[in-house]
Formats: sequence, C-alpha cells, structure tokens
Amino acid sequence: MSPPPDGTPAAIVVALVGNPNTGKSTLFSALAGIPTRIGNYPGVTVEEKIGRFTHRGQTIELIDLPGTYSLAPKSPDEQVAVDVLRGRLPGVPTPDCVVVVADATNLERNLYLATQALDLGLPTVIALTLSDVAAQKGITIDVMELGRRLGCPVVRVVAPTRTGIEALGDALLAVMKSPAVPPQGLGTHLAAVEARHEPAAREAIARYAWIEELLTGVVQRQPPARRPLGERIDDLLTHRVWGTLVFAATMLTMFSSIFWLATPLMDGISAGMDAVSGWVEGLLPEGAIRSLVVDGVLAGVGGVVVFVPQIAMLFLFVAILEGCGYLSRAAFLMDRLLCGVGLGGKSFIPLLSSFACAIPGIMAARTIENPRDRLLTILVAPLMSCSARLPVYLLLCGAFVPNIAVGVSWVRLPALVLAGMYAVGVVTAALVALVLSRTIFRGPPQPFVMELPGWRWPRWEVVLERVREAVWSFLQNAGTLIVAVSIVIWAMASYPRSEPAIDAEVATHRTMLTTRLASLPPDDPDRADVAEELASLDTGDGLAVARRGAAQRQSLLGRMGRLVEPLVRPLGWDWRLGCAAIASFPAREVVLGTLAVIYNLGDIDPGEEEGGTALVRRLRAATWDGTNRKVFTLPVALSIMVFFALCAQCASTLVVIGRETNSWLWPVVTFTYMTVLAWLAAFATYQIGTLLLG
Amino acid sequence: MSLEQVAIGSVARVANVSGSDSTSLRLLEMGLTPGVNVRVVGTAPLGGPLELELRGYRLSIRRHEAARVAIAK
Repeated sequence: MSPPPDGTPAAIVVALVGNPNTGKSTLFSALAGIPTRIGNYPGVTVEEKIGRFTHRGQTIELIDLPGTYSLAPKSPDEQVAVDVLRGRLPGVPTPDCVVVVADATNLERNLYLATQALDLGLPTVIALTLSDVAAQKGITIDVMELGRRLGCPVVRVVAPTRTGIEALGDALLAVMKSPAVPPQGLGTHLAAVEARHEPAAREAIARYAWIEELLTGVVQRQPPARRPLGERIDDLLTHRVWGTLVFAATMLTMFSSIFWLATPLMDGISAGMDAVSGWVEGLLPEGAIRSLVVDGVLAGVGGVVVFVPQIAMLFLFVAILEGCGYLSRAAFLMDRLLCGVGLGGKSFIPLLSSFACAIPGIMAARTIENPRDRLLTILVAPLMSCSARLPVYLLLCGAFVPNIAVGVSWVRLPALVLAGMYAVGVVTAALVALVLSRTIFRGPPQPFVMELPGWRWPRWEVVLERVREAVWSFLQNAGTLIVAVSIVIWAMASYPRSEPAIDAEVATHRTMLTTRLASLPPDDPDRADVAEELASLDTGDGLAVARRGAAQRQSLLGRMGRLVEPLVRPLGWDWRLGCAAIASFPAREVVLGTLAVIYNLGDIDPGEEEGGTALVRRLRAATWDGTNRKVFTLPVALSIMVFFALCAQCASTLVVIGRETNSWLWPVVTFTYMTVLAWLAAFATYQIGTLLLG
Repeated sequence: MSLEQVAIGSVARVANVSGSDSTSLRLLEMGLTPGVNVRVVGTAPLGGPLELELRGYRLSIRRHEAARVAIAK
C-alpha cells in the first residue's frame, strides 16, 4: 500500500474468501455494489471480480476470490485464491487484508478455510453470514468468544438487509491499524496426530481437531421444538420417490419454459428488428450502404439480441435453483447416468439447457468447478438439438418424409424421424464424450465430492444479478463478434456484383424454362410449376427475386458453393445446398432463407417457416442443373437433416465457446470435429438410404 | 468395513481415509477425518452417489470414494 502521487489516501486492497454457498456474492454486492471489473484471471478461466467502495473516507478495493473449501491448491480455483492472497498473480493487486465469509449454520467446515487464511498472517476479519438461518436451526454462537480465541474480529452480517455491513467496514479499518496476532493452535494438534496417517492427511486431521477445540463452548445446539420449514422441504426433496418426481417435474417445467415461453419474446424481438429494418430501408436510398446496414449490421444485431430471452430465462431458473440449493440436488441425482459417458452430474443442467440453445447451456457450464468436466461438457453441448434446428427438421420432415403410420395409426413416420434427429444428437454427444474422456481427456478419476446445501429461499437480488450479468456479458463480448461474422457473410453473399451478368443469367434462365415447358408432355405434373415460374418472371416482384437469386449465385458465396460441390456431391447435395450450408455458418436457421433465395423464391417470412408451403413446392420442383432429376429425395432430405443435427453451423456458439474457455483453440476443435462428424454421418445416411430406397 | 457398506439411515464413525492423492485430501478437508460421526442419509438412483450428514451439513460423494473411507467397528 503506497500512497499515490496526488496525495489522496491509498486504497486498501481487501480479498474476499469463503466456501461456496455461503452468501459471498451477496456480501460482495452489499459492500461494493456493481463490480468495476469482471473478467478472467490471466491464463485461466476463473472469474475475476473486483469492486470499489468508500468507508469513512477510506477507499477500499474488494477482490472477490473464487469460492473454495481449502487453500491447499488442487483445482484452478484454489490455485488462483492462493496466488492472489500471496500477491503472486501479475496484474492483480496484493491484498492488504482478508475478509473470510463463514456460514453460521456450518461453522466447523467453514472455519477450515478461515483458519488457513489466518495462517497466512494477513490482517483478517471473519464475516459470519446466515446467522438468521442458524438461529432457526437452534444454533447459537458466542461471537465475542470466537473472535477472542481466533485472535481476529468476528462480525455478524445479514447482507440482504445490510445488517452489520457498517460494523464490518469498521472492523476492517481497525485490523489494518493493529493487525491481529495469528492464533497458534495448529502446531500442537499436528504433533498429536498419529504417525500412521499419511503426511498429506495430517494437516486436515490436526486442523479439524483444533477447530473442534476452538468451538467447544462457543457453539450451542438446541434443536427447535418444531423443525424449521426449510428442513421439512428438504425432507420432501430428498425423498426417494417424491424427490425424484419433484426433480422430473422441475426439469420438465424449466426445459419447456426455455423452449416455449421464450418463443413469443423471441418472435417479438424478430418483429421489432424487422420493423427497424423496414424503417431504415425507408430512410436510406437503395444501394450498397442500405444493404450493409439492413442485411449486414441489423441482421447481425437481430441475430444476437434474439438469444437474450432464452439466456435470461435459463439463468433465471438456474439462479433460483442455485439460490435454493437445488442445483446440487440435480447433479446428485443425475451423476450416475452421466458418469457412464465420462461426464459428471454437474453437466446435466448445461446439457439439458442446450436442447433450447447451446449458448446459455455453455454459459451454464460455469457451475462445473472441475475444469476437465467443464471443457468436455462445453465441447459436446452443441450436439444437443437446439431450437434453431427445429425449423429445418420440421420443414424437411413435413415435405419429404412420407406421412405414413408406423405400427399404430397415431405414430407417424415424420414424427419418428423428428425424434430420431434428437436421438442422433444425444447418442453422438454420448459417444464423443466417451471417446474424449478415454483419450485426450484421460486422467485420474475426477472426484465428485459435493456439498448438498439445505433448502433456502432464494434472494431475488442475487437471482436478478445473475440474470443481468449473464445477459450483459453475452451482449458485450459475444455480441460484437457475432455482428462482425454476420457482416462478413453478408459481404460474401453480395459481392462481386455485375448487373449485365445478372441480366444475362435471368435471360438464360427464361430461355431454359421456355424450352423445358415446350418439351414437357401436356400431362406432366411439373408443367404447372414450370409455367408458374415462367409467368413470375414477368411480374416486378418475381423478376426482383430472380435477379436476387442470380446475384447471390454470382457472388463469392455462390462461387464457393460451386467450389465445394465435389465435397457435398457424396452427400447427395447439389452446389446450391453446399452454398446454403456455407451461408448458414452464422446461424442454422438462416439455411431456410438462403435456400429460398438460391432457389429463387425470395426471402420467406420467418413466421411461415414451419408451413413454408411456397418453399416446399419450390424445393420439391428443384432439379439438378440442366436435367429433370429431382434434387430433393428422401435420402437427400435425411442427409441434410443429419448434417444439420451434427454440424457446428452457429457462429454465436463458437464465439461463446471461445469466450468461456478463454482460448481460440476450442472453437476450432469444436467446429472441426462437428463438421467432420456431420459430413460422415450425412454421407452414410445418403449412401445407405439410396441403397435401401433405390 | 467402508462407508460404502453402511446401511442407509445408520451412523458410522470414520476410522481412516486411505490414499494420499487429491481426492483423499478433499474428503479430509470436507471433514471426513478420523473420529467424526457420519450418517448415511440416502443414495441417488441406479447406484449413484451417497448423501452423507456430518459436522452439521450434507455432503455427497460417489461410491468408489466412499470405499476409501474406513469405518470404526
């Protein structure tokens, strides 16, 4: 702590440490409000949170350390906590003082970390949280005596009501003036530990022996006459039958809410963006600038903002479940199932959420402390069939899968194929996780030692803060990149552009249609479609659509489509499908619009996607260039669906993976492995499908 | 006898945690030290983790981790 040159008193740097689930984040907000800095510590994906506040004229900088149970570094979280406390992390100020958050309902285990922090020799204050819950459980704590025995101030705080916050600030300033004497208790207990225990175990055994001695006479337990409501709820939730039923109902509610409740909001945002685009279109003259603003920037921004309802909805649920201690219960119940494929119980919520959208799912993987399990979960999460794939499935199942009954009359083939697409994603994710956990992620078995916090009412301030933080970090960090990617794809689809070449292509197309109409026998079913297409070229709208299609075919994107044709041929696709696959890199749902444009239909209204009758007719009529052979057959439709089920055509997901793993390696790995798998599976689907169906 | 074999609902006293790797250390840090009383509250379905109660809180560990915790007779 050196005074800055301008003469103002230097800021005291205070580190906030504590076990998980002790109300540490709530205390942080009560002390410092909204953090001044949020990010990752250099080189690791451990969240760094720094805030600033003033107490009695003294500026205090508060560093929130990750929640840990111990300062013996075993995980990245613990390593960061130790490095910050010892001032060994470049770019992070060395703490002058430590606040240890301790949960009054569970003082024995919380003092394990607290006494380790005291052993560091820094001035320390213990903030005792959840005293109100402890009182309901009949636990009374002699705070003065505890402080005397530990040799440091112990302050009771109830962060949501700001009770004790002033006193905590005063205690901080006091220990800075006259540092406490570190207690000497561990040494004598270490000497008493039997020699038969492993050396690594001795510190833990001695520390708990010391804590038991410290708490004798300080903590009194008087079980209340009537069990508190929290405990009775807990009994229900941990019951073998009722607990499992409540769990299934909770997950079903959560999943369907993200899926269905967010949809009207997302539609609203889409409609709002369309209105803004329409308004801008009216303001700007037609040309490159307008196209850049409307089709590049606004389309990109809309593509980002549309995810906000799902992210907010999921984090609302996750924060509520976490706040009442239920998230750990879900991990506990699902652990066995996920263990089988090399994941852990905590991967369940992120993976379930990914069925709605991989982005909030990947962000929810933050709740997995174990870095290996977290990375593995992030890598397979995009394989879960998200809601953006659904329009693609619905369109192709409805248009190309025969609507016949399978076994019983109410089980229809299209519905089975749809369910099959979801299964393809889940089975592939399980296999990928299994293979990765046995190969590049092989290592000693990861421990699953998890606290199951008791039932607690969630604090709405904490819940809202989690939602705000998740939405904001998504908009700020991922948003800018997603917009940039959208602009690049727009440029590729728009340039180079030559009016004479477009006119020439439309003219050639007209001639081709006229010749074809003349060559078709009068009873040919395609006649009406060809005649309709020819007639549409004489209307203003029809001509504009045809010109737009021609422009796109001549653009860089169209040329790339033809370039990748040899690659997509084995999948049964023509170059236009290859082109649509490339254009859908920013987001899968774009593929429908791109197909429509490339097959000369003009933009289809997203609201009509599911029905999409005009698009369906056009796709059914599409033939290979210069032939009468249909592009879309059942094997081709299946091959497209399988490809989209497994491919990584979602720039937003890749950007979020990059941000969450703090590395560009993992998005590249994800894109590569998913694209290779998608290609192989689509290839197998088409070839086997062609063999079986002829 | 290990903690894995303790019947649901009964209380056992920890004798020792075997091994010296980070998993054993974590079990000790969470309070499973020799002499402490542990109640086995329940288990997750399909042979999933155990739910334990010790030192006034609830802890969940997998079966193969519970197998490391020896119980005093």
